[in-house]
Amino acid sequence: MYNAPMITVRLPQKQKELEIPGPRRVMDLLAEAGMRPTTVIVTQGRKLLTKDHRVEDGATIDVISVVSGG
Amino acid sequence: MKCKRCRRAEAAVDLPSHHAAFCPDCFFLFFRRQVTEGIRKLRLLAPGDRVLVCVSGGKDSLVLWDVLMDEGYETEGLYIDLGIDGYSDRSKEKVLTYAASRGKTPIVVELAKEGIPIPEAARCVRMQECSVCGTVKRYFFNRVAAEGRFTAVATGHNLDDETARLLGNLLHWQRDHLARQHPLLPGEDGGLVRKVKPLWRVSEVETAAYGFLKGIDYVTEECPMSEDATSLVYKEALSRIEDRMPGTRIVFYKGFLDPSNPLRNGPEAAAPADAAPMPEEDAESGATRGTDVDAEGRDGTPRACASCGAPTFAETCSFCRMKERVRNARSVRAARGTR
Repeated sequence: MYNAPMITVRLPQKQKELEIPGPRRVMDLLAEAGMRPTTVIVTQGRKLLTKDHRVEDGATIDVISVVSGG
Repeated sequence: MKCKRCRRAEAAVDLPSHHAAFCPDCFFLFFRRQVTEGIRKLRLLAPGDRVLVCVSGGKDSLVLWDVLMDEGYETEGLYIDLGIDGYSDRSKEKVLTYAASRGKTPIVVELAKEGIPIPEAARCVRMQECSVCGTVKRYFFNRVAAEGRFTAVATGHNLDDETARLLGNLLHWQRDHLARQHPLLPGEDGGLVRKVKPLWRVSEVETAAYGFLKGIDYVTEECPMSEDATSLVYKEALSRIEDRMPGTRIVFYKGFLDPSNPLRNGPEAAAPADAAPMPEEDAESGATRGTDVDAEGRDGTPRACASCGAPTFAETCSFCRMKERVRNARSVRAARGTR
């Protein structure tokens, strides 16, 4: 059976990876992943993505938490 | 989305709190201006200052060092190896790699060699790791700065850190802490070096974006000791508010810093007699409290610690008292044959 390509959302600090059907805006992907925009940056390779950026199927993005404790 | 400044390039960073979005080049200008304006408005640093930048390997401190060097300040980095298995090695590697890329060699203090690695010390004195870490770091920040004749110690505390601390202090009505919370703690006679927080106007997202776009390789994993830090609870609450009402955090903090704010100055600054004591865990948020070497009994000018000579407001500084407790606990454990 053919598997349609999806967007791969990697959460490196949680060592977690999600597959979400696209295309979707970054802010929608964050909502799906349960992450708030003011706590992360989103990257695709060496590119930083704005929250309204549209991500296509087949793409891989990284969601990096920026919250430091202590 | 196009950059709101140059209106040509594609935006890489959107900042709802500033109603703005920037391409990388324009964001660099914006970010550095935020930092330099923060320094200028509160007179944190002056030309000719020798600045000791405390670097942990995380985004904020490395970005701070980067900006201060680019702005022409004379700086050296100080890295404190906390002695946390694995995490400390990886953090140190990031600091050394970054420093080498700028032709620098940081000053390194190894707490294991100083006889007070954080995990073991916290077990010995039965305190939160962050609390022990805060006391030890403040001690070495000041000691290294004084010995090296630095005129200021700079830390990477950002807007999120400062507002989280402010919220915690307000919720517990820590009026004495509120009175002292400020991006500038002036130096004092007796060996206390000025402490500054030049990133007080920029958020964690902004420092992370700056670090990423500048290619600064920082450690992204969190300190394993800070998982239960109360500051994270306050940050979570504030980020929820910020998501719904962008710009709230900076308004909150600027309002607090307003010189007319009676919580910071004036007779109300003293803690009332019936103020509820802060729970031990919350006292731990002193890790970002930015108090002086020894927070106790701050009346008068500091004197020399009877044990090590460092400035303190007590007979013996809190670092020496803690070290003594660690030594005693080790002796007891050795006598019992336990670790």
